[in-house]
Amino acid sequence: MESLNQLIKKCEELAFDLDFTRAKQWKSEGEGRVLVGHMPIYFPREIVHAMNGLAVGILGGGDKKQIIRGDAYYQSYICHMPRGIIELALDGHFDGFEGFLFPSICDVIRNLSGMFRILKKGKFVKYMDFPQNFQKHIGGEFYKSELMEIADKISQINQVEFSVERFNESIQLFNKNRQLTNTAYNLRKEAPWKISAAEMYSVIRAGYVIPVEEHNEILEKLIELVNAAEGVPQDKIRVQVIGAFCEQPPLSLIRTIELAGCYIVEDDFLLGSKWIQGDIEADTSDPVGAIVDAYINHSTFSSTVYDVDDPKEYRMLELFKESKGDGIIFAAPSFCDPALLDHPILQSACDKNGIRYISFLFSENTGQFKVIKEQAGTFSDSIKLWDGDMVGLK
Amino acid sequence: MDNSILTIGVDIGSSSIKMVLLESNSEIKVLDHVHEKLRKRNPELVANQLIDYVLDKHSLKYEDIAYLASTGEGESIKRKRGHFYSMTTHAKGGISQNPGAKTVVDMGALFVRAIKVNEFGKVMDYKMTGQCASGSGQFVENISRYLGLAVEEVGDTSLLSTKPEMPSGICAVLAETDVINMVSRGISTPDIIKGIHLSVAQKVIKLLTSLRAESPVALTGGMAMNKGMVQAVTELADKGNLNLEIVTHPDAIFAGAYGAAIWAGFRHKKLEAAMQT
Repeated sequence: MESLNQLIKKCEELAFDLDFTRAKQWKSEGEGRVLVGHMPIYFPREIVHAMNGLAVGILGGGDKKQIIRGDAYYQSYICHMPRGIIELALDGHFDGFEGFLFPSICDVIRNLSGMFRILKKGKFVKYMDFPQNFQKHIGGEFYKSELMEIADKISQINQVEFSVERFNESIQLFNKNRQLTNTAYNLRKEAPWKISAAEMYSVIRAGYVIPVEEHNEILEKLIELVNAAEGVPQDKIRVQVIGAFCEQPPLSLIRTIELAGCYIVEDDFLLGSKWIQGDIEADTSDPVGAIVDAYINHSTFSSTVYDVDDPKEYRMLELFKESKGDGIIFAAPSFCDPALLDHPILQSACDKNGIRYISFLFSENTGQFKVIKEQAGTFSDSIKLWDGDMVGLK
Repeated sequence: MDNSILTIGVDIGSSSIKMVLLESNSEIKVLDHVHEKLRKRNPELVANQLIDYVLDKHSLKYEDIAYLASTGEGESIKRKRGHFYSMTTHAKGGISQNPGAKTVVDMGALFVRAIKVNEFGKVMDYKMTGQCASGSGQFVENISRYLGLAVEEVGDTSLLSTKPEMPSGICAVLAETDVINMVSRGISTPDIIKGIHLSVAQKVIKLLTSLRAESPVALTGGMAMNKGMVQAVTELADKGNLNLEIVTHPDAIFAGAYGAAIWAGFRHKKLEAAMQT
């Protein structure tokens, strides 16, 4: 039987395979199959799956792709991820992809969609506006029409007809994927010494580039193996990491935080995989409506969502409490306006509630972690040692 | 009833490993300390061997140790219970070895860090040298090797200097070229070594000035064992009228491990108290 280390190694290889080998192999294994790349944060992959496609997460080149031409497309004050993505596109890594979806995050991503269009990548490129009006008859209707447009575009490529049964099946598979993902995250929250945050990250990220059926099998195996694992708990503080919902941190950064005396028990890495909170109705005559309903009523919080009725700072505090955190680390990508504009609001909530935090910036190709290690290490020490009474220590 | 507990602090540096076995109750007592050069060996392996060696020597089992804490680059030690950052441990070790110290200067192999501390050993502020190797113990060691001196001889040799010759001090590479020139110009070894010590001491003084350090200042780490280095820092502090008393301890190299072992005891008691409530 595959060991936990072997499973994690396999997932790491899949997750960081910039040639998307498994996705392309899957496409070649059947007639009418299409690959549709999607950027962060969230896209309902059920839509592509039901249309006989594979939604492939495009999360940038990270620290594994040298930027040569990508810098010519963006000014120096723009974040790193789009440079990596355009570099990948120019080098042919997305050859064989039929479509590209750009969920609305910021102007940089919108511009990236324009570049893909000019470069004539794939058969369709869509910048997808997500509703900011959360009333079903306004934002919901708009969102539904956007999703149906994507289904139509895929149908024009592979002639697969819209089918309620197929949509319900897809919803069921992704419901299962979310349940397993939550179970895996909860296991880590309970016993973070059994599997590191970086290992968990690789397992979840692998799900962005392989068929959901295969990822569900991986998650089931993972849960079984983590349950059986023993491990020795160490004296570390429990932290929530916030800010890395779009451009992803390098794996070494996640490892650095944990090595510096912290267990990451809550995070917004790969936020799309846990965007919908709970199941989507999977036995319905209007499956797209069910997907819309889940987005409107059961989305998590994010810097890209207008949330006047349910402010993100309260939801962050709820998560912090649930995860039994000791502190929060605000880790935002350099030049990420959505994350950085939110940090004062979130940090003010921390101040008011006596929650300790630190903040730093990173980029997906950061290679020097000395300063971050120093910050995270002293943060951990300050909570472990200097929290409370020190009398008697002289 | 004996409330004493045993703790171990393991400090993995870039060139050596230091370990301290401590017994704490109302008093803190050092039961043992060991120091081992890494010599390109796997740090985790050497640390494990040292732990076993100390446990065997004192007829102890691993389970007898209430808390084994690592510091420095010791995050990889699997047998640790917790890891403390080196600034935290040097601060504590420094004031414990030199009671009354208000500033601790950790002079390690790769950089120098000045830390302002309160009476409990809590870090209040700090300044450290940048990436340049010319402010580090490794640099001093390299120069000594070029000059054919053993590390143990460096301090006494420096004290023999009558007319120190300062290198460029801008970077280690340029300074090493300066040293070659000095040798060819017939400058004596004590004067070259003293010049190197003064060059590093200048960086220490800059850190202390920008930190607005308070006296006494305790030097810790490998370089604090070097009499010539301590003398150079003292001379420059006096020359600059900083009004700082420079102090050190014969076991200054163990300050990080010592601090880790003390914090380990404190943390253990804190965790025990939390369990009870």
